[in-house]
Amino acid sequence: MKKLSAIFTAVLLSAALSACAEKKSFTEPDGKLDSCSIRFSWWGGDDRHEATLKAIDLWNEKHPDINIIPEYGGWDGWTEKLSSQINGGTAPDIMQINYDWLVSFSGGNKFYDLGKLKNFLDLSGYDEDILSFGENNNILNAVTVSVSGRGLFYNSDVYKSFGAEYPHTWNELLALGDKFDDNGVYPIDLDIQSGGTAWYLAVVYVQQKTGREFITMDGKLGFSEEDIKTALDFYKQLEDNHVIRNVRSRTDEDGNAALYQSPEFISGKVAGILEWGSSVGKYEMSLPEGILEAGPMLTDDSGNSDGWLIKPSMLYAISAETQYPDESAAFMNFLLNDEECADILGTTRGIPASSYAEKSLEKNGKLKGLALENHTMLEQINTFTISPYMELAKMKEFYNEAVESVSYNTSDTAAAAKKMYDSINEYLEKIKK
Amino acid sequence: MKKKYNNPVGVENYTGLLLIMPFVVGFVLFTLYPFVCSFILGLTDCDGINETDFIGFENYSHMFSDEDFLKSSAVTFRYALILVPLKLIFSLLTALLLSAEIKGIGIFRTAFYIPSILGSNLAIVIMWQFLFTSDGLVNQLLEIIGFAPVGWYSQPVPAMFIIVLLRLWEFGSTMIIFLNALKDIPKEYYDAAKTDGCNSIKSFFHITLPLLKKAIFLNLILQTVSAFQEFNAPYMLTGGGPEKNTLTIGMLIYNEMFRYSDIGYANAVSWVLFVVIAVITALMFKVVKNN
Repeated sequence: MKKLSAIFTAVLLSAALSACAEKKSFTEPDGKLDSCSIRFSWWGGDDRHEATLKAIDLWNEKHPDINIIPEYGGWDGWTEKLSSQINGGTAPDIMQINYDWLVSFSGGNKFYDLGKLKNFLDLSGYDEDILSFGENNNILNAVTVSVSGRGLFYNSDVYKSFGAEYPHTWNELLALGDKFDDNGVYPIDLDIQSGGTAWYLAVVYVQQKTGREFITMDGKLGFSEEDIKTALDFYKQLEDNHVIRNVRSRTDEDGNAALYQSPEFISGKVAGILEWGSSVGKYEMSLPEGILEAGPMLTDDSGNSDGWLIKPSMLYAISAETQYPDESAAFMNFLLNDEECADILGTTRGIPASSYAEKSLEKNGKLKGLALENHTMLEQINTFTISPYMELAKMKEFYNEAVESVSYNTSDTAAAAKKMYDSINEYLEKIKK
Repeated sequence: MKKKYNNPVGVENYTGLLLIMPFVVGFVLFTLYPFVCSFILGLTDCDGINETDFIGFENYSHMFSDEDFLKSSAVTFRYALILVPLKLIFSLLTALLLSAEIKGIGIFRTAFYIPSILGSNLAIVIMWQFLFTSDGLVNQLLEIIGFAPVGWYSQPVPAMFIIVLLRLWEFGSTMIIFLNALKDIPKEYYDAAKTDGCNSIKSFFHITLPLLKKAIFLNLILQTVSAFQEFNAPYMLTGGGPEKNTLTIGMLIYNEMFRYSDIGYANAVSWVLFVVIAVITALMFKVVKNN
C-alpha cells in the first residue's frame, strides 16, 4: 500500500510540474483552405455585435466549408475571460485584442507569427507605421483594425437647453460647471471603472502642458511626481467646479453599472462623455439618433492642442495554438479587406486602418458619423501614441486608486501622487525583469 | 450455513476499489491535482506567459507588505464575523416559525427557500443594484418614513451591509438544516417541560438549543467556510469599493489571477486562505469537542 501511495504521489507531482511548464503544439500553414470550424472572439457594444454577426453570415455564405463560431460580449470582464482562455490553452483561433495584450501575452508566444500567413493575409493596404503597432520583437503578432483616440462627445439636446457651447479649451471646460450648476446636470462624466477616463483626461492635460509622455513606449514612467500631482489637482478641480460628478455621487447613482447603460446618461443628467471614436457607437445607441455630437479636442488658451492620445483601438491576432492558421488568416483578411464585409461593419470598430476597407466605406457613402469626426479631429492635431504599458490592468488599478482617494478626500493630491509614482515605477521594473 | 454471494464483476479483492473508482478519479483529477499544482505554482513567479522561475516563499513573504492583501483579509474577517452569526440567528428563528404544524405551512417553507434557489445570479444582482442606487426603492422608502437617503455604495459600512443583506436573504439551506433538526426533537420533551411549568422561552433555551447543537455546528462550519470564500456578491455589487472596503480575499485572488496574470501570487494567497479556513474549522471542532 505504501508503495502504491508513493507511485501515486510521484505521478501526481510530475503531472503537476509538467502542466505548469506545458508547451503546446504549433501548426505550420499548409497553403490551402480545408473544411473546418474556427472560433472568432471580440468584445464591444450591440452595434458592433450586430454588424459582426452579419459579416460572419456573409462569410458563411461565401465559404460554407469554413464555419465561424462567434464568441462575443461586453468589455467588462473580457480581459479576464480571454487571459484565462489563453493561459489555459483554449484561446479562440482569431481574437480581437487590446493594444496592451501585445505586451501581456506576446512574451510567451501566445500569438501566431502573421508573417507566415501571407498566402491568405493581404497587408498591402496598410502603412508600415500602422503595421508596426502589432509587432513584437520584429514579429508581426497582430494587425491593427483601426487607429483611434478618445474624444469628447456631448448630448446636444442638453447643451442647447442650457444655452451652452461645447468647450474648446480646458478653462472653458472648467467654466462650464457654473452654467450647469444647481441643476443636478453635469457637462461631462469621467469614470474610474474599466474605462478609467478620469485619469486619462488628466494625463492629456499634463501632456499638453509639459510635452512629456506619461509612459514611454519602452515602458518607463515619463511623468515626474509633480506632474502626477498636477494631473490629480486638475481632476479634483473638475469635481470641485461641478464639471463632473465626484466618485461618491457616481458610485451611489450608478452602482457598478457601465455609464452607457446608466439612467443618468440616458436621461441626460450626464451630458458629455470621453470615449474612443471606435467605441462611441454604444453611447450613440442609448440616445435618440443624432443627439450625441463630437466636440472639439481641448487646447490650452494659446491654442496648443498637443497631448491627446491615439492608439490602435483594437487588433486582430491568431492564436499560436490554432490548428487552422490558413483558414484563420483567410477569415482575418475578409474582416480587414473585403469590400462587402467593410460595408457591413461600417465604423463599428472605428475608421478602418486598411485602405481597402476605408475606400469601400467611402465609395458606399458609409465613411461618416462620430467615429469619422473624431478621427478627422485627431488627424489635425499633434497626437501622442499611447504606450501599451499605460493600459495594463495593474496600471489602471494605480490610477483609479489615486483618483478615488483624492475624490473621497482620504488622501491629498501630493500623497496620492507619491504613492502612484512609487507603485508605477516598482511595477514597471518588475514586469520588465 | 453461510450464504455465498456471486461477485458481479469477478475481481473479488478489488471490487470495493472498483466501485469507488468514479469518485477517486474525479477527486484526483478535479481536486487533488489542482490542489498540488496550486501549491507548486504558489512557489513560482508564473504569469502564464514568460519563463517561470522557482522563487521559494517570496510570494508568501510579499503578503505581509501587500496593502491589498492586508486590507482584503481584514474585510473578509469582518464580513464573516457579521454574516455568520446573523445568518444563523435569522435562519433559526425562521425555522422555528416554519416548524409550526399549521395548514399550508409547506407553501411558506417553499416560499422562504426560493431566494436560495435564485442565489446571487446576474438578474438578482442587477435588481439588487437598482434597489440601492441613490434614487432606488430603498432610499425612496427611507424618505417616505422620514429618514435621509443613504449613499449605499460610496460608504464602507452601507456597502458591506448590502452584501451581507444579499447573503442573508439566501438563508434557505441553513434554514432547512435547522428545520430538519427541529423535527427530530421528540414532542414529549416539550410536553414534559410544559407539565413542569416551563414557558416557551425556557423550553427553547433548555430543550431546543441544546438539541440543535449538531445542526448549529454544521451550519456554523458551512457558513464560515462559504463566507471566507465570498466572491460573487462583492464582485457584482460593489466591485470591491469604495476604496477596497468590500474587497474580499476571494476577489483579490481573482484580480491577481485573471486581471494581473500574477498566477504565482494568486495561488499563494489561495493557500493562505485554505490554511486560515482549515485552522478556523479545526478550532471550532476542538471547542465543540471540549464542550
